[in-house]
Parts: sequence; C-alpha cells; structure tokens
Amino acid sequence: MKKKVKLALAQISSKREDKKANLQKIEEFTVKAKEQGADLVIFPELSLTGYVLHDQVYELAEVIPGPSTKTIEDLAKKTETHIIFGMPELSEKTKATIFNTAVFVGPNGFIGKFRKMYLPTHSVFEEKRYFRPGYQPVAFNTPVGNVGLFICYDIFFPEVCRLTRLKGAKLMVCISASPAVRRSYFEILTAARALENTAFLAYVNLAGVEDGLQFWGGSRLVSPTGDLLAKAKYDEEDLVICEVDYNDMRPAETFIPTLRDLRPELFDQLKKHSETL
Amino acid sequence: MHKLKLTSSALELNLTEVEKRIRRFIKEYVENAGAEGIVLGLSGGIDSSTTAAISSLSIGGDRVTGLMLPEKETYNSKDINDAKFVAKKFGLKSQVCDITPVLEGFYKTIPIFDQADKLCKGNIKARTRMIYLYYYANKLKKIVCGSSDKSETMMGYFTKWGDVAADISPLMDLYKTQVRKLAEHMGIPPELAAKPATPALWPNQLAETELGIKYETLDLILYGLERFMTTEEIAQQLSVRKTLIEKVKSRWLAVEHKRRLPLTPKLEYRTVGTDFRLPRHTY
Repeated sequence: MKKKVKLALAQISSKREDKKANLQKIEEFTVKAKEQGADLVIFPELSLTGYVLHDQVYELAEVIPGPSTKTIEDLAKKTETHIIFGMPELSEKTKATIFNTAVFVGPNGFIGKFRKMYLPTHSVFEEKRYFRPGYQPVAFNTPVGNVGLFICYDIFFPEVCRLTRLKGAKLMVCISASPAVRRSYFEILTAARALENTAFLAYVNLAGVEDGLQFWGGSRLVSPTGDLLAKAKYDEEDLVICEVDYNDMRPAETFIPTLRDLRPELFDQLKKHSETL
Repeated sequence: MHKLKLTSSALELNLTEVEKRIRRFIKEYVENAGAEGIVLGLSGGIDSSTTAAISSLSIGGDRVTGLMLPEKETYNSKDINDAKFVAKKFGLKSQVCDITPVLEGFYKTIPIFDQADKLCKGNIKARTRMIYLYYYANKLKKIVCGSSDKSETMMGYFTKWGDVAADISPLMDLYKTQVRKLAEHMGIPPELAAKPATPALWPNQLAETELGIKYETLDLILYGLERFMTTEEIAQQLSVRKTLIEKVKSRWLAVEHKRRLPLTPKLEYRTVGTDFRLPRHTY
C-alpha cells in the first residue's frame, strides 16, 4: 500500500437522466485527474444519473456490476486509477428494489460497493420513497489505502463513519448531493467525523442546479486532526488534486487517542436507548 | 437558519449569498431551457422591480423584456415612471402596452359581466396581463419570469392563473420584507423599495389594507407558521391577539388550491398532480 496517495475531488454537475453524458464527463475528469497524478478519483452521490430523479429512477437503476460499472471499470483499467462514483443500484433479485449506492473500482476491476444506510425523507428529500437502505458499513483494503465509504446523510450518524474506521478505514470517503441550505451542517460534520476518528475524510459533493435545488459543491479533504487540506469551489464544477499522507495518522492518533479510549459498553446502552426513543 | 425568536432579525438574510443563488438559478434555467431570454411584467412595484433587476443581472439586460401593462382605471404615472427608471437603471428593454381596449372588450362581451364586482373584474386585468406576457414569451422564444413573493403566495393574495402564472418565480421563497431588503441591496432606491404594494386590480387598492395587517407583522407570523410554531407561541412572542394568528393560518391553509395543479380523482396507476412524480426538464 502506498504511504502517500493523490486524490482527485471530481466535483461535477451531472446531467439528469443522461448516463451517456455523465459517463463521458466522468471519463474526461478521470483523464484530467490522471494527468495530474491522481491515484483515486472521487465523484459525487448519484453522479451517473443526477440526484433529482423521482419516478425515473426505475428506468435508470442498474445492477452492480452492470453496464455502467463495466464502462467505469474499463476507464479505471485504461487510466490505471481507482474511481469512486454514485449510482442507483437495482437489486439482482427483484425488479424494482433500488439502492443509493457508491461504487469502487480500480485498475484490476470491481472492488466493492456501499449502499446508503440513512435515506433522508424530509424537507426536499424523498429517498425512502424510492430506495431500500443498506445494512453494512464497508471498508476496502486497496493499493490506495483502506477506504471506507458512506453517502451524504450517513454523515449525520457518527456510527456509520466510526464502523468504517473500526473495520480498518484510514481514508473515509463521503460522496454527497447536498443542497446549499445545508452547507454549514456538512462543513461542521466533515471536520468532526475526521477528527473523532483520527482519519482522513474526503467529501465530494455535486455542483449545479437540479429542479431548483442548488448543490453547493465545496468538496474537501480533511486531515485526521480536522484541518482542511484542500477545498473545491462552492457551487461550480471543479477538480481538485490533493494528497493523503498516511504517515500523518500516527501523530494524530497519539495526540487525540479517541480510538484507544473507545468504551464498547456504551454502545450497548446506545442500542437499548435508541430502541425506546 | 432556524431562529425561532420572532423579531425582525429572524428575517435577516445574507443578501449577497441570496442574490448569488437567485442569479445562478435564473441563468441556469434560461440556459437549460434554450430560451432567448426573459419576459416579465413591470408594474413599478417592488416585486416586479426586484425581479427585473435580478433577471438583468443574471442574463444581461439586453435579453430581458419588461412589459408595462397599464389600464385607465388604475393608471398611475408614478408607477410608469418607476418602472421606466428600473428598466433604464438595469438596462432592460421595455415596452408599454395599454390593455384598456382589451379589457373593455371583455366587459362588453361577457353576458353576465357585473361592473360592481370589482374582484371578478380585477381578476380579468391580472389574467389579461398574463396573456400579454405569454404572447411576448412565445413570440420572442423567451420564458416568463414571475415576481410573486412568499408572503402573497402563502396568503393566496394573487389571481389564480393571473399574476402568479410564470415559468419561474425566483422570489417566491422570500417574504415581502426580505424582497425589499434584497431590492435595496441591488441598488433599487429605498423610496421605491418602501412603496406600498398594490396588485392594481382597482383604483387605490393597497395590499396591507386588504390583508388587514402590516407586512412586517405578517411576515413574522408566516415565518413562525413555516417553522411549525403554534398560534399560541406566535401570538405570545409578537404580543398580538391569537385570533389574528389564527386568521392568517386559516387563510394560508385554505388557499392551497391556488398553489397546486387542478385536482383530479385517483382512478388509474399513476396520476398527474399526485403520484406522477417526474423530474422537471427545462431542456
């Protein structure tokens, strides 16, 4: 595993319902990122299709691995990069059960996927109407590091992020489609999740406007001590190349020993009390 | 964002950020729609002046057509001058169309027309203005930009299919008092921003008189209702009668029909307006 990894925060604006156009854009950004030395290129939540899909999600969802992931696998092979992106995933076992999924591929093909666990269904969000939640936090040991994945609203629930860390993640990747009115929450939570887990956190948000919903961009890499290492533009498309130096983790963990100080017995209480809210 | 203390500071906004977001919204919409630009009504009032200003700043005044649509009963030279001032200041093209002859045509040809019913008559004026705006939009391959604000939209203080009819309504999430502040922020003179609002459906019609409440108070009541506050809490915080809050709340809830597509009985698999949920495409 590399000690230093170059990330590309590929903050794109997706064209809704147009997978062909979005695949093309993903390719353009990946090639550009590779030219700048990127090992891992990260795209936003549902970047393959756009976020505001409503009933059209039934037409756009695909099984994973499937045709679109195959295209991105080929791209990863061709460019020798790792790529993370988001798409609606159709269950192999049913005809209309869909997940909001992050896909991880590398030069050797498909690595894994994460199904969003917390589906916002309030305010402008209606994800529970369309998606089934995932049940497993994930972390994948890869040449670019041990990478944990989660999606947008999952960041409000520290246990998702914590579990990726406990499974070994050193780089936690949150892909997102967050509208502008919620920007301040994510700016706080990205720093908090990195700090409390003393791990790197890459946050990649959509840019652009869909059905009046304005995505604020602002993608970032946060250090294990909560510092902002790199930040993309607000609102507009951007490609930011930044570096994760895993050597920084040891001093962070010794200075802020949150993992050493974990109290497993509290999690039993958490379970008990959350059942009776 | 979620300030629940009902003072004027609750309605304060980061105006630079709000202006930026609205401009981005307008620009993206017009571009995605492949439209040549925007058509809007210019009444000389604060909402339409603000819409004209922000539309011009978004896509350039040369792509914005402002229509002044006076008629003899409500004609007010100050309004026309204010509208012309805004058009000049923000560099948009403007045109005056006197709609009086068209209105008189309606009055003469509607068999049950009642001269004394000023509301029904006034609504003809608002809907006639809508027809002019859409004619220009069709002809010039532009979109119609509405100027409704959140206060009047929540209160249903508009003519169904009339002044509210538009392709986009960029101010609809801002209360009237917030629109005034945004107007000043963009360089509209304070005296124009503070001008009493009127839908101009009949002579000397004033919005605050008709609504029976000042916008400063109304906006705070609506702000509280928007945030699920109870009528008791709002009344207590604003030191006003609970019956006033209840009146505003009932009106807000009663006029939802004016803000929706026409209702149809649920008969089939997916139904327009209820569970036919499709993304809105502008391109």
